[in-house]
Amino acid sequence: MSTKPQRDPYFIDFPKRVSQIQEKMAQEDIDVYLGSRLRTLSWVTDAFCPWRSYIIIPAEGLPTAFTFVIDAARVADDSWLDEDHVLGYAPLGGMNQIAQISDFIKEELGVKKGRIGFESGLSNYLPEGNMTLFEYESFKGALSDCTFVNAHHIIDELAIIKDEGTINRFREASRIVDEGHKAVKEAISKGGWKNLTETEIAGIAALAMRRAGSVWEWSFTGGNEIASGYRTGLAGGACTPPTTRKLQAGQPLMVDIHAMFKLALGDHAHNYLIGPATDRQLWHAQNFIDIVSLTLKTYRAGISPVSLGEQMMDFAEEKGFAEYMVPGFEHGIGMLGDEWRIGPNDGPFAFWTNPDHVYRENEVLICAMQYACPEEDIGFRYENPIVIKKDKCEALSRFALRVEVIE
Amino acid sequence: MTEKVAYLSSQWRDEVEKRLKSELTPEQMKHITTSVAFNYTNCPGGNAKFLYFKCEDGSVTDVLVDEGEPPQAEFVITGNYDLFAQITQGIIKSHRALMSGKLKLKGNMVKALKLASLADRLNRIMGQIPTTY
Repeated sequence: MSTKPQRDPYFIDFPKRVSQIQEKMAQEDIDVYLGSRLRTLSWVTDAFCPWRSYIIIPAEGLPTAFTFVIDAARVADDSWLDEDHVLGYAPLGGMNQIAQISDFIKEELGVKKGRIGFESGLSNYLPEGNMTLFEYESFKGALSDCTFVNAHHIIDELAIIKDEGTINRFREASRIVDEGHKAVKEAISKGGWKNLTETEIAGIAALAMRRAGSVWEWSFTGGNEIASGYRTGLAGGACTPPTTRKLQAGQPLMVDIHAMFKLALGDHAHNYLIGPATDRQLWHAQNFIDIVSLTLKTYRAGISPVSLGEQMMDFAEEKGFAEYMVPGFEHGIGMLGDEWRIGPNDGPFAFWTNPDHVYRENEVLICAMQYACPEEDIGFRYENPIVIKKDKCEALSRFALRVEVIE
Repeated sequence: MTEKVAYLSSQWRDEVEKRLKSELTPEQMKHITTSVAFNYTNCPGGNAKFLYFKCEDGSVTDVLVDEGEPPQAEFVITGNYDLFAQITQGIIKSHRALMSGKLKLKGNMVKALKLASLADRLNRIMGQIPTTY
């Protein structure tokens, strides 16, 4: 199976990924991997699979994806897998997802008594795609002589360190996001903000990013998250789908926009004060810029979420704004569907980031911070994908770090 | 032809082949190359039978009716005799039988979607053969 030429900066060796999975399967005596999570579908097929989908990875040979029949031809067209390895399911006799996949495992792969790895777990991210109880019981009933073992860790561990093609895709997604920020800044400058709503700001960014090559504003948190006025300062408020609220003088504006390029995700938040700004607002803004700058300088291989968090919160305490900080400075990111948790599932709380996870070179994560002062109706957000390097990090969005006062 | 032939008999098979070859052009069949086996369960007498079609570049090349295992086919549709008989007579639509789960299809569903209308054309021709069921 040939994939795109390696001179393509966005080339990913998907057959190699499959081989890596199969090596792990062999080590764990797994005959078939039955993946259902969106992150797994993206990582293996290189196609956007918005409908409930499954990937069947045999011990040897090519995987086969199953998705809703109305989208199967498109997925096959986008994927490196051919149409014989992207099949559609439908509510027809023999064609529903349980019957078709279990028949495929028994008859096409010849696995009638083997060990089947599946994906179960817990997620704060709604579209995660772990196997449901109904699916599990149905597959177990249809493959009654097989043993089912939870095997999500195989994909999770392999996907942590990003290859060059993946990182380049993330760089391009961030370049696209920066085009969205340029369009928003131009639109709101010189009084252009008057009468604009949060939803219109989201649309201005979306149009610019799509013109630059974004597929969609991928985030399930509302696409482009725009907040103005008191909504910027909601306690812990790291999720602000836009509303029809109009921008107003003397209030903050938070622009958190998202682009997707070849399943890599751009995610950068930039903040404004619609003038005139008070000294108190500018003080808050400077606090925010100071802690973001220090955080970006601190990220590198060898540190952990908890060590970085302690260091940053000590700084915020020293400067007198710790009470406005959400004490978290990161969230995970990967190809579409891989969001929030950092690293493998090895922390004190199942399926959450291990605070002692030690960052390694070429991990990609979102450097994320939320500064919120609800009592003063002001807040700021920072998000930017970063690549962990040996002694620094590479911030992928290049939009200048500042809180801009717009007149 | 006015005298009736028995469903799935050799005479019925011959009539199916003759009509399909004379009434369906490669253009009408979109020049497809495919094969489909219909597995009939609970046939009169208790046996299982199959009806097999092969089409090359839009021309019907093989129509087989027999007992036992059908030749390897791109699509396999399994159901009971009475249901297939009702479908052939136009009493029940095949897609309704598939949607109800009474027929079981094996094969690439995406390709099957493209062939659904062509299968209906085959069925309409078979339904015009005077047949005893």
